[in-house]
Amino acid sequence: MPVGDLWSALGSRAALDAIRVTAETIALAMAMILLFGTPAAYWIASRRGAMRDVVVTLVELPLVLPPAVAGIGLLVAFGRAGLLGGTVDALGIDIAFTKVAVVLAVTFVASPFYLRTAVAAFESVDATLPAAARTLGAGPGRVFFRVMLPLARGGLGAGAALAFARGLGEFGATIMFAGSLQGVTQTLSLAIYEQFDLDFNVALAISALLIVVSAVVLLSVKLMTRWHSASGSLILSAPSSRQPS
Amino acid sequence: MRTRVAALLVIAVLAASSLASSAGARRQADPLTIYAAASLTEVFSSFDRAQRYSFAGSNALETQIRNGAPADIFASAAPLNTQRLFQSRMVERPVTFTANRLVLIVPRSNPAGIRSVYDLRRKPVKLVIAGAAVPVGAYTRTVLRKLGLSSVLSKVVSQESDVKAVSGKVAFGQADAGFVYATDARPVREQVSVIRIPAWAQPRIRYEIAVVSRSSRKAAARAWIKRILSPGGQRALRNAGFLPIPKATR
Repeated sequence: MPVGDLWSALGSRAALDAIRVTAETIALAMAMILLFGTPAAYWIASRRGAMRDVVVTLVELPLVLPPAVAGIGLLVAFGRAGLLGGTVDALGIDIAFTKVAVVLAVTFVASPFYLRTAVAAFESVDATLPAAARTLGAGPGRVFFRVMLPLARGGLGAGAALAFARGLGEFGATIMFAGSLQGVTQTLSLAIYEQFDLDFNVALAISALLIVVSAVVLLSVKLMTRWHSASGSLILSAPSSRQPS
Repeated sequence: MRTRVAALLVIAVLAASSLASSAGARRQADPLTIYAAASLTEVFSSFDRAQRYSFAGSNALETQIRNGAPADIFASAAPLNTQRLFQSRMVERPVTFTANRLVLIVPRSNPAGIRSVYDLRRKPVKLVIAGAAVPVGAYTRTVLRKLGLSSVLSKVVSQESDVKAVSGKVAFGQADAGFVYATDARPVREQVSVIRIPAWAQPRIRYEIAVVSRSSRKAAARAWIKRILSPGGQRALRNAGFLPIPKATR
């Protein structure tokens, strides 16, 4: 199929709406994942024992859940007839069939990808370094922002890229929890599904776009794992607590 | 001597008959692959548990068959999908086998307070319908047009890919209202209330069934379709809430 046709198919209303919905929702989801996930990963990395294991299991649960089950889980938790539905209604917040629902679904399925890598990144930082910073008088905040974050940034970046890729491809949980409406909740993945038998060219064009984006993400993961020697082999190996000094 | 011959004869007869019956059992045991509209899920599954089914929106099934899916039979909720395949010679001549009608369903708790279809225009409501390419979605838009309620389409919060997704969202209480077939309201009758739509506003709903041309089990497929068209099959459909085959197409 000629590239020119693909490009013009990307300019169709359905494709443009899907790109806009996806861009908005993935940006918000990534913000939430980084904002809440980074301190959470730091907390997990600094703990040992039963509490940590429980938290890690909870955090990694969406990883092993089939997306459709994740969708049902979100409905049960945040649906209007769900456990927190009454509370959400009372607060005057409307989640059902809104972009907020898409953001929640994407955050839920993508966060484990960031958290796992972030925990490993923090754990692979040489423990003597933050310890040395503390003996030199740095408070915990300074240690985190000036020592841990810079040293772990390669792994954190790679984790963010993985979470981004997973969030981009999210389908099952989104369609169950947020529904599918062009311009509101229909992400790129949902648009492919609808356009598949409506206008195959549009479906093909969106798929091509997603392939290109996924390739860029993969490349950036490779580059980021080389970013800093401390987080060099994060992705593939188990966390190690000692680095050659 | 005679008893030995008799014994051998008996053994021979037993062996032959068990071979024949196992061969027959193998033929009967091999399930047909039936691609059917989502609204046929309950009635087909209980009518014949032995076959293998794939239930989805008729438009999605049409696309799959067009791209070579290994179906023996295609049962569609609208003539459009079977006729398009017939024009491409991908199925044999389709036959109408049943009909249906649309209803409006709301969750038992009725959060939007909908008591008639006209309330859809008067009140804020999260309405869920199927996409325009899905038979039930097209039928819904026809009903709304006939009722003079096309403006209600602005209250749609989600367009689903099959009727079960619509009934599911209403049954769970996530949506305020949804248009489904009368037959889809039954499996969720505990969770929903049904609002009837007058007969004059109903679209002409016809379900068609056809043998897929690529099938290697055409004889068995034709026989299965005959069963659906027989009094037994038609009774099973009526009991599930489907309507008799419209007179004009018999």
